[in-house]
This record gives sequence, structure tokens and C-alpha cells, in this order.
Amino acid sequence: MDQSIPIFVIIPLAASFFISMVGGRIRGFGKTLSVLVFLCTLIIALSYLISGNHASMVYKIGGWEPVGNIPIGIYLLLDPFSGFMLIIINTMAFLATLYSVNYMTKYTGEKYFYTLFCIMVAGLNGVVLAGDLFNLYVFLEITVIASYALVAFGTEKEELEASFKYQILGGMATALILFSIGMIYWYTKTLNIADITKMLASSNDRMLIQFCELILIAGFGLKAAIMPFHGWLPDAHSSAPSPISAMLSGVVIKAAGLYVIFRLFFNMFEITWEISVLITAIGTLSMVVGVFLAIGQWDLKRLLAYHSISQMGYVIIGVGMGMMIVATSGNMALASLAITGGLFHLINHAVFKGLLFLNAGAIEYRLGTRDLNQMGGLFEKMPLTSGTSLAASMAISGIPPFNGFFSKLVIIVAAIQAKFYLLAALAVIVSIITLASFMKFQRYAFFNGQAEDYGKDGIREVPFFMSFAMVVMAVLCLALSLLMIPSVRESFLQPAVDALLGNNEYFMNLLNM
Amino acid sequence: MNSIHATLEILLLLPLIAGVILFFLPEKHLKVKGLTALAVSLVTLYYASRLYFSGVADEQINLVETGFLNRFGTSYIPVSVGSYCMLNLDNLARFIGVLIAFFSVLILLYSIVYVDRNKSLRNYYSFVLLTLWASVCTAFSDSLFMFIFFWGFLGLTLYKLIRGHDEESSAAAKKTFIMIGASDGIMILGIGILWKITGHFNISELTVRTSDAIRFCAFLALLIGSFTKAGAFPFHTWVPDYAKKAPASSSAYLPASLDKLLGIYFLTRICNDIFLLSGWIRLVILILGALTIIIAVMMALIQHDYKKLLGYHAVSQVGYMVTGIGLGSVLGLVGGLFHMVNHAMYKSGLFLAAGSVERNTGMNKLEKLGGLSRQMPVTFICSLIFALSISGVPPLNGFASKWIIYQGIIDFGKGTGIANQLWIVWLSMAVIGSALTLASFIKFISGIFLGRSKTSLKQVGEVHWMMWTPMLILALICTGLGVFASRWVIPAFFEPLAGNVSFIGVWDSSFISLLIAVSIILGISVYFVFSMGRFRRDEIFIGGETNRRDLGFEPTSFYETIRNFGLLRPFYGWAEKKYFDIYDVSKNITLKISHIFSAAHNGILSNLAFWVLAGLIFMFIFLLM
Repeated sequence: MDQSIPIFVIIPLAASFFISMVGGRIRGFGKTLSVLVFLCTLIIALSYLISGNHASMVYKIGGWEPVGNIPIGIYLLLDPFSGFMLIIINTMAFLATLYSVNYMTKYTGEKYFYTLFCIMVAGLNGVVLAGDLFNLYVFLEITVIASYALVAFGTEKEELEASFKYQILGGMATALILFSIGMIYWYTKTLNIADITKMLASSNDRMLIQFCELILIAGFGLKAAIMPFHGWLPDAHSSAPSPISAMLSGVVIKAAGLYVIFRLFFNMFEITWEISVLITAIGTLSMVVGVFLAIGQWDLKRLLAYHSISQMGYVIIGVGMGMMIVATSGNMALASLAITGGLFHLINHAVFKGLLFLNAGAIEYRLGTRDLNQMGGLFEKMPLTSGTSLAASMAISGIPPFNGFFSKLVIIVAAIQAKFYLLAALAVIVSIITLASFMKFQRYAFFNGQAEDYGKDGIREVPFFMSFAMVVMAVLCLALSLLMIPSVRESFLQPAVDALLGNNEYFMNLLNM
Repeated sequence: MNSIHATLEILLLLPLIAGVILFFLPEKHLKVKGLTALAVSLVTLYYASRLYFSGVADEQINLVETGFLNRFGTSYIPVSVGSYCMLNLDNLARFIGVLIAFFSVLILLYSIVYVDRNKSLRNYYSFVLLTLWASVCTAFSDSLFMFIFFWGFLGLTLYKLIRGHDEESSAAAKKTFIMIGASDGIMILGIGILWKITGHFNISELTVRTSDAIRFCAFLALLIGSFTKAGAFPFHTWVPDYAKKAPASSSAYLPASLDKLLGIYFLTRICNDIFLLSGWIRLVILILGALTIIIAVMMALIQHDYKKLLGYHAVSQVGYMVTGIGLGSVLGLVGGLFHMVNHAMYKSGLFLAAGSVERNTGMNKLEKLGGLSRQMPVTFICSLIFALSISGVPPLNGFASKWIIYQGIIDFGKGTGIANQLWIVWLSMAVIGSALTLASFIKFISGIFLGRSKTSLKQVGEVHWMMWTPMLILALICTGLGVFASRWVIPAFFEPLAGNVSFIGVWDSSFISLLIAVSIILGISVYFVFSMGRFRRDEIFIGGETNRRDLGFEPTSFYETIRNFGLLRPFYGWAEKKYFDIYDVSKNITLKISHIFSAAHNGILSNLAFWVLAGLIFMFIFLLM
């Protein structure tokens, strides 16, 4: 298995080159190849999960062994948390490309789309596998540069403006991240995450380390679009083609932002009270302000985009509470519960927010508008879109029996158990407003009479592949509830949580193999 | 696997499986779907009553330890989660289970003709069966986590049973679901706090004093849940809107019967099993109960839409149940639960009658209707019985339960607490509410069935027998429950739930019924024997109202006087501007905040970059402090 780790990066990267070379000559080459590639990576990721082997695995590029316990060379590392992220990334990539098969026909230059898409996913897979800070940074840049181009794919005024903003703020993030990595390199003389951990453990310059931590929070916070750093997200996520919006909201902000924050702050830095309070505070701010911004929107995709900020807040407060409990060396079972809630919400959000963007895309595909005021009465015309969007809306609003209910329940109960009553109350209030804004979406898009005459031919359900991707995701919205069953959770979610909490194991695997 | 487990298996799985299968049956076989659903609900009713009458040896059942959940696979569910999957099969739960199944049967029988092939009410029967399933599971749940799961799911089915075909109905659906969903979220807080404080989350294990603020918050959170579901003030505002726009069968099914059963069931649980209430909390509950009675009935008086009128009554009657249960005595509890059953009977009957009228006339305003008693005799007789019953006219069941509640209030007055001292207030509110209910149902009955028959309604006939049979059954039960209340109904059904009842005064419902029957017969015979035909004709006495002959006999116009009465007019005005609607108030606040935040998001790039820097600087300051 450990020899297959680089496949996650190599196959999509190779596919992107093939598509850009051959895609223009053979019709349908791009879509077929990218669907197959993501199916393949998904199967490999799932096989890691199903194998039941939760040990971390290391792939040393070029076979460069560590010298005197000091790692040299590039290491890729697959542990349960990376595996968890890989499954999210590749599932979503597979479904989004499947959806694009029909959806992207209305754009020109399809081969560039699939090329960029493959590069983006290769970068994402690289980010979650990278074992050293510099490669993490490189893969991150691969991802975001591909996504700048993908956001601008429509090349209308709005798309270009959104992409421009995204690039400027992304550039700021890059500068911050690179600066912090430089500081860490200067201080520890190494880039390997495991090695840095060892070096930092023996250092006592708290100010410097905290300075680096803050810069990293700001840099990756920009990628994750948490609250004061979210400025680019509403524009970028609403202007991109819908499968890209689904990828950006469902995967990119998590894998390129939250994953790195969680990984570095659990496994690289020592968890301190101040930083965990700060992270939780940022999460709370995102959760509360994001939802208030969302409910006032009339542009469907912008509404969904603001909800991504808000829902990321849930993930962060779940994990942040876990950090605070760890920092005060409290009850580890409770910390584990809170982090479970956060990660559970992370995977749930990937599925339901991805699905909601695909629904928005389906509506836009038929109606050509994203304005909720110009929709209406689609319940009868697009039953599949309507049904799947109801499932996703219920999931994001936390209505049983959909997955969002359980993850929110875990987060709220964990907050109360840890005596963060205010956080629990805020989580409930935000959940209520989320429900209200998705009821607004349901009402104006699918009921409410017909806003305007949709033309003589009328509106039909979307084509097969789009419907198929949406139905699969709606089923996932229900099926992920099964993660609450302890035996399922222990083989899927719990190892990821343990990988975060058992912070010694991570670098032990990197160093002593 | 003994017989209880086999019974439970059918109760907990059959409606679910049937409901899911019906999703996959095409909509063109609507009758087949309806008949299947009816058959399933009949089987459920049979097993629920078997469970009720046979009794159980062990009231708490652990679904994991008894092997229920692991039946189909070997051991997917470890024993450690057993405490999350506890059932509680005490008398109350089983009783509610039977009632849920009973109402499902009646509503499904009615629906087979009533629900026609309407595209926007897709999967109606699936959702009815899923509602049945979730309601039974809710009633049987002992673990609060299991409870909130099914309870929350009921909000979704409620939302799917109204069709949002136009602006108003989709707004009503949205409002309903937001309010129900919000209360579910708040309940999760309450459950979490209970678990934190006591370490338990099974209803049967919990006994909490409401002594400090945090316990009080937990109580309040759960109370909000039960009040929203049952539709008590101030969380009732979704009920009238839902009742106005939903198909009558949905209104009869959820807000009129099942939501009341479950909401009051949960109220009973939190007031009697989970919490030990202090005097002040009783005072709060009684105030809310009294306010619910009066406010909703005052709103009902001025309605022109008869379904909305019924919706307001579905709220008003909850006040009696809340008052009864809030008293905390056996008498109050019996009264509250009995009223819950009675209300479910006559209110779902009234909604079914309203649905029949609406289906045959296509109108939903009282002033457009009139004189239907000849054309729809069965509906008329049934509605009359329901209306008299809801107004508390003896010997019908509404009278019986209200009477017990009155007695409970008088008995309550013997205590020394602040709530006890104010017993006369609760009693007078309850009696006035009853009188106003009668007043508004005169409007309902005379507006639809009496008066001059309108030419536009000449073609209207009686509904299909499958639609009037459920109403007839409900009317007979209403009468039966009233006539045999003290002799048979209370000892057989309600004493096992609450304890032995000792009435203060002498009350024998059957004897009173006999007296009433005798007096009616005497009256008729006096009429026939002595003065037949020898009466004088005069102007109609209408209590000083101006009689506008040109408009004919129009009962709704009389009620305008109430609306224009100086003291009440501003309140009605504010109510119509939705100043008292907790939904609209919080919606406006939310949107105000939203506008403030949106104003800051003008999308100018330098602002966005500034936020990043500001955030960074703020974080530095935070760490330096």
C-alpha cells in the first residue's frame, strides 16, 4: 500500500497533461479520462480505509532514507486523517466531474477545464499527503493557481473580477504562509514537519513560535475563508462554474485551509490555551456572522457561499473546543468527542454543500439565472433537483435523519459537556437561521408559484449525469448518518481523530521507519 | 424473542418499511398507495392496541440488549450504545401509541377520496406513514436522544404534508418548518444540559429539581419544544397559518391530532417525570395556559376563513391541556390528558368536515357559504356534535374534560402557593374561553350550514362515504366519551395513567346525559302537545345589532362589533401587523442584523485586504495581552 501513495498525485497530474495534449483531438477524451482517474483514486483511497490498517505509511521519494534520524528528501505520509481527507477530495472530485460531463457542454474550451480540474485535485491530494512544509506549500499553490483559472472560466466580467480578488487575497495568503515557513526554517533549520516538532519541543522561545503560529492562522485562514479573511469567498464561489463551486466549497477550503491548520496545530505545534481560544473565537465569529450574511442574499450561489463560511465555523468550534480541552489537559474522551463532531461535520459539509452547489448549477443550467426572485414552481418541473436539494437543505439545517443533524448534535452536546454553554447556544441559534435561509431557498426556488413564464418548451429535469451525481450525493447525505453507529465510526472517523490527538505517532512514523 | 418483541418489531418497522416502499411506487397508482397505507395503519392499530391491552412486564426495553437491533446482522451495534436505544412502554406511552395509530387509520380512510392526483403534494401517503412511524417511535422513546431524532423528523413530514403551490401556502410551509425546527434545536440544548447535570438522558431515570438557573434553562428549553409542537402561546403562530393553507387531511392529522398528542405527552413527561416543578414555574405555566386560551379564541372570533378559525381553536384548546397539566394534581393531569384526547377527536373531525365543505364548494370564506345543512346532512350533524363538544356543552366529551379541569383548578386553590392563590383567575379564564369558543362556533356552524341557502351552492351534495365515515366515527366517539366519562372512560383509561381520581363534587356523566335527553324529549313533547302553530311572528332579535336585510343572514358581520370594540381594536390591529408573532419579530431582527453586516460587504478589494490585516493585528494584540 505504501508504494501507492504517490499515485494520488501522479495520476491526476499525468491526466492533466494528457488531456491538454490529446483532449482537443479526441472528442470526450477529457471528461472520460478525468472521471476514470478520480474513480481510480477514490477506489485506492477507499481500499486504504477498508483495509482496516490504521497505521501511518510513509513514501520516501527517491528512496532517500533519513540520515542519523534527520529526514532528508521529500516524504509523503498517509495517516488516517489524510486518508479521511483523501476520501472526501476524491469522492467529490469524481462526482463533480461526472456532473460536469453534461454541465460543461455549455462552455467552450472543455479540455482546459478538465486539465485544470485534474491539476487542482492533484494539488489537493498532495497537500494532505505532504510530510514537509515546503511541499505542502507547493501543492497548495498548485491547487489555488488552478482554482484561480477555474473561477475565471466563464471569462465574463463578473468571473474575472471574482478571480482577480481571489488572486490578490490568495497572494496575500501565499506571502504570509511563505513568510511563516521561512521563519520556521530559520529557527529550526528543517522543513520536515516531524523534525520541526522535535526541534520546537526543545525550544523555549514562545514569542517567536506564537508569531509564526499567528501568521500561519492568517495565511491558512485566508485559504479556509474564516471570518476576517473571507473576503474573496462569496465572489469566487458564486461566479465559478457550479462543479467548481462544489469543489471549492466542498473540498478546497477544507483541504487547503482547515486540514493544514488542524494538522499543524495538533501535530506540529504544541497546543496552547491562547491559540486554541483564538481558533475557537475565529470559528465562532465565522459561524455567527456568516449565517447572518447568508440569510439576506438573493443570489442563490452567494447564499450558499456565505453558508460555507458559517458551516466551517461549526467545524472549527468542534475541533477548537477539543484543542481547548487538550490545552487544559482536561478529559481526553470529551476532547475526542468534540473533534469527532468537528470532523464529522467536515465530511458532512463536503457532501451537502457540494450537492447544494450542484443543485444551484442544475437550476442555472435550465433557467440561466441565480436570482431566487426569478425562480419558482420548479417543484413540479425538476423533481429530482427539488428532492435532492431538500435532502441537502435538511442536512445543512440539521434536521434528522440527515447527516448534519448528527454532527451538529455531537458538537452541541460536546460543547455543553465541556461547559461552553454560550457556544452551544450560538450553535443552536445559527442552526435555526440556517434552517430559515434554506427554507427561503426551498420556497423561492421550488414553490411559491411561478415567477415568470419559462418559455414555450418549458423547463425539464437536467440530463442524466447531472441527475445521477446529485442523487448519489443525496443518498450520501442520508448514508453518512450511519457514521453515528459506533462500529462504523470506529473504522472511519475515530482513526482520523486519534491521528490528530495522538500527536507523537505522526512524527514517530516519519522519523523511525 | 417473546410476543412483546414481535409486536414491537411490527410497530417500529412496518410503517417505516411501507412508507419507504411507497416512495418508489409511481404516483399514478394513487388509490393503490392509499389502500396500502390504510392497510398498514390498520395493522399498526391492531398491534398498538394489543400492546396496550396486553400490558408489558418490563416497561423499559433496551433495544440492543434484547437483540432487537442486531436481529438482521450479527453484532453491528455494540452493547455500549444500549442506553441510547431505550424504549419506555409505560401506560402513557402505550396509550398515546394506540391513539396515534387510530388517527392514522381515520385520516387515511378520509384521504383515499380526498387526496386526488395533485402534483405538488407528491408522496403524500409515504409521508403519512412515516409520520405514523416517527410518532409511535417518539412516544415509545425513553432515551431523549432517540426522542429528539424522531421528534425532529416529524417537523420534516409536517413540512412535506402541506403543498406550496402559491405564495401564501409556501410562506406558511416555510414558517411552520422554521418554528418547529427552531424548537427542536432549542430542545437539543435542554437535553444536553440535562445530560451534563445528571449524567442521564433516559426519561425514566431523570428526576431534576428546577432549583438553579441552568436547570431552569433546561426546563425552559424542553418546554419550548413541547409548546411549539402542541401550539401553545407564544409559539403557536404556525398553527393558524398551516391550518389555513394545508390540505384539511394534513391539518387534521398533524396540528389537530398527532402534534397535540405528542406535544402534550411530552409536556406531561417534563412536568411529571423529568422535573420537579417549583411554585413559580407552575405560575408561569398557568399564565401561559390561560393566555393561550384567551388570545387564541379572541383571534378565532374575528376570522373569516373557516380553516384558519379552526386553526386558532386548535391553539386555544391547548391552553386547557397546559392548564390542566400545569396544576400538577391527579385531577389536573387526568383533565389535561382527557382534554388532549377529546380535542384530538373533535378537532380532527372539524378539520375533516371543513375539508369536505371546501372540496365540495371550493370556497373557504364563511360569508360565501351558508345553508348547506340540507345538502350535506351527515357533515352537518357531525360538525354540530364536534362544535358543541369543543364548546363544552354537556353531555359531550369536551364538557367532561373541561369540567374535570375546572374541578382541578378549584382543588388547586386549596394550596398555599402564589399560583394556588390565583385559582379564581385561572378558573375564570377557562370559563370565559369556553364561552367565547361557543360564540365562535356559532359563527362556524351558522355560517356554513344554516341560514339562507345560496344560489351558487345549489349543486353541492354530500361527500363520498369514505369521507364521512371517519367523521361519523369521531362524532360517535365524542358522544360516547362524554356520556360514559365518569362511569367508564376515566376509570378504564385515565386512572392507569395518572392515579386514582376523587372528584370534589358529585358528577355522574351518564346520569346527566340521561337528564338532558329526558329534558329534550320533554321539551319536544311540550312543543307538539300544547302550542304547535300558536306563536307570534316578530322582528328577529339580534341583541341591538343592525340587521342588514339586504345582505341576508350573515353571521360573520355580527362579529365585527367585537373587532371594532374600542378596547380591543388596537390589539387586533397590532396582531394583524404581526407585532405579537414571535416568528415575524425574530425574522425582522435577523434581517436587520443581516443588513448591517451586508452593508460592510461592498466587495471593494482594498476593504477585503484591510480586514485581513486588521484580523492579523487583532490576533497579535490578543496574544500580547
